[in-house]
Amino acid sequence: MIERPPNQPPPAGEGVSLFGDAPEIDLSRGRVDLTLVRLRMAWRTLRDGWAVFVESRIGVLSLAIIAVFALMAFSHPILMATVWEPDVYDPVTGYAFDRFDHPAPPNWRHPLGTDSLGRDILSQLLFSAKSEFILGITAALVTVGIATTVGAVAAYYGGLVDSLLMRLADLIIALPGISLLIVLSALFNLNLFYLALIIGVLGGFGGTAIILKSQALSIRVKPYIEAARAAGGSHFHVIFVHIIPNLLPLSLLYMMFTVTGAIFAEAVLSFLGLLDIRMSWGIMIHTANVGGYLLSGANYWWLVIPAGASITLLCSAFYLVGRALDEVVNPRLRRHDG
Amino acid sequence: MTSYLARRAGQMVLTLFLIVTLTFFLVQAQPGDYATFYSLNPDIPAEAREQIKASFGLDKPLWQQYLVHMKNTFTGNFGVSFGHYPRPVMEVLAERLPRTVVLFLSATAVSFYVGFFLGKAIAWRRGGVLEYAATISGATLFTAFTPAFALMMIWIFAFKLGWLPVGKFLDPLIWRGAEVSANHVFSYMLATAAVFIAFAFLTLLAARKLGRLGTGRMPFLVIAGGAAVIPIVWAFTGVGYLALDILRHMILPIATLTLISFAGTMLLTRNSMLETMREDYVMAARAKGLPEKVVRDRHAARNALLPVITSLVYSLIFAIDGSVIIEGVFSWPGTGMTLLEAVRSEDLPLVMGSMVFIGLFSLLAHVIVDVLYVYLDPRIRYQ
Amino acid sequence: MPMTTADTEPVLKVVDLSLSYLTRQGPLQAVQSVSFELGRGQSLGLVGESGCGKTSIANCLMRLLPDNGRLTSGQILLDGQDLVPLSEEEMRHFRWGQMAMVFQAAMNALDPVYRVGQQVVEAIEAHGVEVTTAGARERVARLFRMVGLDPQLMERYPHEFSGGMRQRAVIAMALACDPSVIIADEPTTALDVIVQDRLLRELKGVQRELSMSMIYISHDIGVVAEVTDRIGVMYAGRLVELGDTADVFGAPMHPYTAALMSSFPSISGEKHELETLPGEPPNLANPPAGCPFHPRCAYATEECREEFPAQVQRGSRWTACWHPLTDMAGVGQ
Repeated sequence: MIERPPNQPPPAGEGVSLFGDAPEIDLSRGRVDLTLVRLRMAWRTLRDGWAVFVESRIGVLSLAIIAVFALMAFSHPILMATVWEPDVYDPVTGYAFDRFDHPAPPNWRHPLGTDSLGRDILSQLLFSAKSEFILGITAALVTVGIATTVGAVAAYYGGLVDSLLMRLADLIIALPGISLLIVLSALFNLNLFYLALIIGVLGGFGGTAIILKSQALSIRVKPYIEAARAAGGSHFHVIFVHIIPNLLPLSLLYMMFTVTGAIFAEAVLSFLGLLDIRMSWGIMIHTANVGGYLLSGANYWWLVIPAGASITLLCSAFYLVGRALDEVVNPRLRRHDG
Repeated sequence: MTSYLARRAGQMVLTLFLIVTLTFFLVQAQPGDYATFYSLNPDIPAEAREQIKASFGLDKPLWQQYLVHMKNTFTGNFGVSFGHYPRPVMEVLAERLPRTVVLFLSATAVSFYVGFFLGKAIAWRRGGVLEYAATISGATLFTAFTPAFALMMIWIFAFKLGWLPVGKFLDPLIWRGAEVSANHVFSYMLATAAVFIAFAFLTLLAARKLGRLGTGRMPFLVIAGGAAVIPIVWAFTGVGYLALDILRHMILPIATLTLISFAGTMLLTRNSMLETMREDYVMAARAKGLPEKVVRDRHAARNALLPVITSLVYSLIFAIDGSVIIEGVFSWPGTGMTLLEAVRSEDLPLVMGSMVFIGLFSLLAHVIVDVLYVYLDPRIRYQ
Repeated sequence: MPMTTADTEPVLKVVDLSLSYLTRQGPLQAVQSVSFELGRGQSLGLVGESGCGKTSIANCLMRLLPDNGRLTSGQILLDGQDLVPLSEEEMRHFRWGQMAMVFQAAMNALDPVYRVGQQVVEAIEAHGVEVTTAGARERVARLFRMVGLDPQLMERYPHEFSGGMRQRAVIAMALACDPSVIIADEPTTALDVIVQDRLLRELKGVQRELSMSMIYISHDIGVVAEVTDRIGVMYAGRLVELGDTADVFGAPMHPYTAALMSSFPSISGEKHELETLPGEPPNLANPPAGCPFHPRCAYATEECREEFPAQVQRGSRWTACWHPLTDMAGVGQ
């Protein structure tokens, strides 16, 4: 260590820092600085991970697609508040008085046309994007919240707790999810929120928990866990401060896959007319199907293609981002190494 | 090995038990009960309502109801369907199960084979056009909106090209005046398929026993010969044209289900191959001067198969869900469509029955995967 | 001694071999201008720290480089035939048929899903050494006996073998097609000392008996001294000293050889203080100028930092050093 006069500021740290200058080293405020050091390390990990991620062209493209859909979701309330009259453009109750030939083909006032009930397709499309994000992200957060906790707890305690949680996970993955949701929709009134919750819980106690547990097992045997225990850390402290943060990269990956699954499940159930949801891409196709427009092929393309393409695009985008993240988290899949 | 299989079988029984328990409590949790359906009419007097309730055993305490439910389910008694009254649920499902099994098995077999083959190829030659094409089209099909994709297939092949029928199990015009029932013909078709598969399997087994003499094209020629005999035999039965009609109705659903599910296996195989290709035994195989194809197929792919088989469970679950959707869209009268019909008409006994059947189906898939894995991995086989 | 055949044409001749790996950090020079000869029935040891390019040379000779490996120059002459320009299919016949390998990690060199005997039979059939399966199996049984394995073990799977048994099986596999050259890459590293010692003797015995040539690669200079006629010392992708084993051990010329020897217990049982070499091997993506050893060398001078030294040759022995330790006049006579 180099001795420094007490009043002189410390030299700036090397590399990119999240907060400009390097955190001050002061033993009396050790805890705060430790957090800063952790944050900087996390930042560095993120930056390195990003460098690997952007090498995957498919991953970057998919991220861009997700960004476009996010913009669409944000644009709907703005458009409704400014240029679109609610009477005409409301995705559920609106009616395009300017035309009589519903479903009307795309025109200046309705860029994607109207559906058989005279409602604007573009408005429905944008409105649904928001629902899909809410659904997907809620489900993913619930899944990952449960799965990281279950995985970490099962790996940390082992024994009976582990067996019980893993048997439950085996049970859940043994069940076909969509079929189960179809059954549930017959018994209960499923709205967007319940659907997200059910998908999240099924995913969280199911397959994702198994994968995160095996990862947590490999973290559990690392020396720093032993050290944290030896230093007097409680079980709770070790699980939530040392194990779970190390599970987060993998959790992020499985969040992406959960979003894909949730959007897909919603679309299928809506298409089958089994959900209590105001509007979604699945319902748009359902409406077209009930009206018998689906098998007319290209004649009424605007009733199917925008919604169908949106489902496929957003699902594949989240899925492919997940796969690109897989290459970041799992270096063995990379093309060149070291 | 026996202990491994026994343990897995034990888990399966436990899982089935849990599924049946789950169905019981789901029915309990939903508003109303089975008796409500029969006593919807407001003119039914309160006394009669109680009688109907009692006839379902709904006046007994919950734990007794649970035990009765357990006993009934495990003896195959799912009650009487509301929608198909007075047919028992079991009878409705037993008629429809084989159709689902055929759809599911053939689609799974084809998609597994195609997926494994492509996954192997794109991992072996990384960065090629094939990799991009297969990954993108595979991922798109994998995440494509199944119902819309199925409808697109119908539109292209049934409406525009007119090659194949739109949906359903058979064409009533062809069957008018036929003296046999569709189920009768279908069961003969199943028997034919079973005999053919057994024949092909035995041929390959014999080829293996013969050693080098059995390699090459010979066994495949024998199998192709066997396949050629089938239409000739059917032509003499007089119902060949009926079987052909069912067959024509099968093609589109099976092709659609195959297309949406092959990508899962393909992407898994690719990842698994990339890992095994780094193993020393693959390098050793190449060092031994074995031809490239042998190194790829007999060593790299053979070992890459193991994790793919373990994850096959997920693909099978995906395919089960897929077959429910496909059956719905194609009006293919199997278990999946039964479930959808039952849900739409709120035919609760049939819903729960289908649920147990689908659960049983996925458990069987698990068992098959387990047995397959034990067979393929000597480290478990000889423990 | 097998030196009697050394005057004939060498079975393997490596000329100016250079190899680099393409990595994120740029090209990495794993092997640079390496030349050596291997006489018929002779055994040559290659020693050096891990990462010095020994294994890369072995993989290079078999032309089994990873996707990012590039041969930038050199010839590999096996019985006068250059292997470098051969196509993959032509190369296939040389692998195992002419040149076989005993792998570094014998644990993993056997495919877990096939019976051990089958994996040897496979190599024999691929090269048509035996025409019938029965003949091939008979041959495997003989090979198993030769390396001290019960022929009945052919029907077992690798996971049923102990480490030593697997290593024997891998040696039997290497002998399967009567190769003229065997490359043994750290074949005994993962085994305990007693098994290691017995295996070494047997490997040496088999090599003499079948009068094969062998390249023995190890970081353990003591092991190499036991089994080889000649020894080559590698540092940072370069061959820095080459000579008859006894000569090199008697009087090392390169300071690195001397350092390597003093960091291992003496093979003759002589007691001396074990020394550790200060510093670390250089980063091959960005090697130091001049002699790559100069940052760790006690004798380094200005010229060492600037230019790679030319070979100083005496008889069958040479070194690449500006300041050889032994007086050259007294060596190699």
